Amino acid sequence: MPGLYFITSEFREDAKSAAKDRGMPGIRVLELPADKYYPGRERKEELRPLASDCFDRMADALTRPLTAEEARPSPMQMQRQDAHIEVTGDDFLEAAEKVNESFLASRWADGLPIVPPTPKLVKAMMAGTTRSPQEVIGQVSPKNGIATVEKIAINAVMAGAKPEYFPVILAAMEGFTDKKYDLTHVQASTGSFTPVVVIDGPIAQELGFNSGIGMLGHGWRANSTVGRALRLSLLNLGQTWPQVNDMALTGRLEAYTFFTFAEDTARSPWEPYHVSLGYKPEDSTVTVASSGNPLVLGGGAVLPWTGQGVIDQIVARIKTAGVVWPHSQTYILVLHPDCAVDLANHGYIRKSLQEYLYEQTRVPYEKLAGPVFFGHDTEIEFIKKSIEDGRIRADRAPIFLEALKPGGRVPVVQSPADFHIIVAGGSPGYDLLFSYPGTNWANQTKPIRGATLTIAGRG
Amino acid sequence: MTQTSAQQAQAHLVVLNPRGEIPPPVTLGISPRVASLDGKKIVLVDNGKFGASNFLDVLAELLKGSYPNASIVMYPKPAAQTITNVPKWYPTVKQQGDLFIFGVGD
Repeated sequence: MPGLYFITSEFREDAKSAAKDRGMPGIRVLELPADKYYPGRERKEELRPLASDCFDRMADALTRPLTAEEARPSPMQMQRQDAHIEVTGDDFLEAAEKVNESFLASRWADGLPIVPPTPKLVKAMMAGTTRSPQEVIGQVSPKNGIATVEKIAINAVMAGAKPEYFPVILAAMEGFTDKKYDLTHVQASTGSFTPVVVIDGPIAQELGFNSGIGMLGHGWRANSTVGRALRLSLLNLGQTWPQVNDMALTGRLEAYTFFTFAEDTARSPWEPYHVSLGYKPEDSTVTVASSGNPLVLGGGAVLPWTGQGVIDQIVARIKTAGVVWPHSQTYILVLHPDCAVDLANHGYIRKSLQEYLYEQTRVPYEKLAGPVFFGHDTEIEFIKKSIEDGRIRADRAPIFLEALKPGGRVPVVQSPADFHIIVAGGSPGYDLLFSYPGTNWANQTKPIRGATLTIAGRG
Repeated sequence: MTQTSAQQAQAHLVVLNPRGEIPPPVTLGISPRVASLDGKKIVLVDNGKFGASNFLDVLAELLKGSYPNASIVMYPKPAAQTITNVPKWYPTVKQQGDLFIFGVGD
């Protein structure tokens, strides 16, 4: 079926890149000037001149015969890279600076200085795992780059990670490349989502991950460089770049290290998060998820708070957050230890808190009248379609069908388990609510294994 | 890590490439064009982003003015159907007409 795609001029490179990634480099695209389209898109009278200006080109694109290349594009070749690069300088520092300049110019770095990934350092990194250098961990979207252990090790060296961190990085990459993780969306969306990386189990303490005051901040090499190794691996193996095919409009709040922290299992009143998923306490895991800008709650050192008050605040914010999008919504609630203890003292366990949040955030049917993010369905129509096409699981569908009637209260997530509860932060502390609308499978927890330099993570 | 020549007093650094191999996708040509838009059934696919329906409405008016024998089908893309599950909804576009115009992409 012949077709034509309208885009805005800001997405020129993105459209070219996406077309090529999907094997259709010849698709015909027409650009609308972004500086006129976005300010005017609410009013048809402002869009009319834009449509008139491009009308003849549109007709031409739909009727002009194809070139031979458009009809039968040349097969693409496996994109291979030079295995290594050589630079020379007057001394090591000058050579290292040349590596930095070259890597950034090639879009292989993140803008901060990198450690030159020499064969010796990469070999040392790989000594942190029993896994073979050529083992394929997965493919990284949007370009489906092959993530081998060795390639991830190169990026880990660049990030400044220690070899003993490497099994954590590999496990996280297994999560990101799991087909259920929403990686294309996270890597490319204008929504500017930031990956969330949570380390659980004994390896967190052994490697010195921060789970207390400043857990999302600087100063802890494990948090910073594991996060940065993942940043660089996704950038280089998925081959993304801002304004080209990473269209996060604001960039990401934690652009260089993601939200990388450990759960404070020692001060948590509940079983560790990974144990709640079925892992053993002695297991170590990494959970990868995704979030828009997190909501900060509680009083910190300034204002009084109670655990119940924080939960009520969360309920109120979720219920008034806007569109109800239950088929794919997920939340990660990070409670600081004092808050978790206060809630535990009032009888909550993790499961009952999940169920409380699920029940209390239900939205009255009569409130569901607004349009969904995309398309023209109302929330009610959209949820019904989500049931019909299986995006809401069959075992949860009866609950939604029962709720979608006058007097009903509609859940904002598919099940209580879509509220993931983790304990971390300072004392005093704030609580964080990470929210992601993309898919409710985005949270992927993987066991850390194959470690050689730590006691934990050897399984 | 460095190989320094005493004579030249230079540092020579060998570093590994951080990018991985990219398996090539199967390449596909685009569909042959139509000879004219006149008399054709044109499907305007609204991707649901804010403003797209306004733009496509205007385009529909212009198409009707220039090609009175063409018919226009407005097709709102199903909500939350992304590029990753195109196969699920694209065939329904194909059933609607002779050619499509998709907008407005970002």
